[in-house]
Amino acid sequence: MSEASYLVELREAAPRAPETLRELVRDLSVAQPRRQRRIRPALVGAIAIAVAIAVGAAVIGGLSGSSDETRGVSPVAGAAKTRKLLVPAAKAPQDIPQFATGLTSKSRLQRQDVSMRLRVKDLSGATQSAVRTTRQLGGFVAGADYSTGSKEGNSRLALRVPVANLQQAIASFTNLGTILSQHISVADLQTGLDRLDARIAAARRKGHDHGADRLERRRDALIREGTYARVSLQLTTAKPAAQHSAPGRFGRFWDTTSNILGKELIAMLYVLVLAGPFILLAALLVFAERTRRRRADERLLEEAA
Amino acid sequence: MPTSWAIRKQALREERSFADVAEEHLDDVYRYLLYMTGNPHLAEDLAAETFERALRRWRRFDPSRGAARTWLCQLARGAALDHFRSDRRRRKREGIYASDVPEIDEPVFGEGLSPALDRAVQSLSAAEREVVGLRVVLELDGDTTAKVLGIRPSAVSTRLSRALQKLEERMVSDVRG
Repeated sequence: MSEASYLVELREAAPRAPETLRELVRDLSVAQPRRQRRIRPALVGAIAIAVAIAVGAAVIGGLSGSSDETRGVSPVAGAAKTRKLLVPAAKAPQDIPQFATGLTSKSRLQRQDVSMRLRVKDLSGATQSAVRTTRQLGGFVAGADYSTGSKEGNSRLALRVPVANLQQAIASFTNLGTILSQHISVADLQTGLDRLDARIAAARRKGHDHGADRLERRRDALIREGTYARVSLQLTTAKPAAQHSAPGRFGRFWDTTSNILGKELIAMLYVLVLAGPFILLAALLVFAERTRRRRADERLLEEAA
Repeated sequence: MPTSWAIRKQALREERSFADVAEEHLDDVYRYLLYMTGNPHLAEDLAAETFERALRRWRRFDPSRGAARTWLCQLARGAALDHFRSDRRRRKREGIYASDVPEIDEPVFGEGLSPALDRAVQSLSAAEREVVGLRVVLELDGDTTAKVLGIRPSAVSTRLSRALQKLEERMVSDVRG
């Protein structure tokens, strides 16, 4: 008997289900329920995890966002107040002096340091204009560094501008080009001056003229320091690395979305790193249990007649 | 080659009633259980049990994840394994080691089957008869059989090859003896 023939025989002789069984199953089918669309547990789990991660990212984003806002101006030791302003190109330059106005006080002696970086089209013209403005306002050029190359040119000016005319000078400089960054630092010198005055008066009273003269020289230096603001002006013709323009509605939407997606990704990585070993362990346990059960079933079937 | 999406769409379009599915696959389920148990009466009981289970779980059946026949065979296997487990416990409890297979003069695995072939099939283990039933009698392909048995398709081929080899040897020895 060939192999094919007994296989055919097995197939052809395969028995039909008994009529009693057929009737039983038919009776069962009478009360049949309608099949409902099944929601897969894996899908529900994936959605739950995604929602949890999204909520987590939103909470983390909200917390970090609010802490950024509260940072703002941080007090500096002593009476000095310092703030760095990174001004977008599109921002109106006249906004900047207003900030400085709030920090300065005409009734007190203050040391004011201003650092500005601007992108200009005509480096030579802008440099000359800055020098001219400084002189017109009663200031002077303490130092200059001017260099031009094939692609870009840079000019660094160390200027001294009378404090009384500083706001006007800043306003003029901002009109030279596009502000890339600005740093304004104000430090109170009045307390030190008052202390020196008291010490000079005491020295004079005691007849210590030599000491009083020395203290007066220090006082003059302090007053000079408070009379002229130090302005560090950097002019450049370098093009920005990427053109930043005010994003439109889609741009803002895309920024927000990519920001949230990034945070979600980070949150997901956290979850994976933390839960990874447990997930792996659970998967190994499930795999081991399945293997054990399958082997037990196989043994059972081998033993069964 | 149809994509999984195409299979899903097809399955949803062909949503059928439990009665239709039961009617179409009743013989297959019975044959499978008969090969597993080697006992027509037990196969009938287990087939009834299988369709009761199927009716209870019909709401959860997802045609896009597999054919109804595969699903029913998986349920039938579960019912048979449950029976074998409880039978083994009963035997241990009662200290019985002999098989309960009844002595039946007629061929068990189908009318008209030669006695030698019937005896040879009967002499195989349940695991071997199971794979012969699925691959030869029900004509399931290797992948579907592997899905029912919960093993790899290569393991199905190996198991079938051994079972058929044993079947041939038994038939030859039966004819000679």
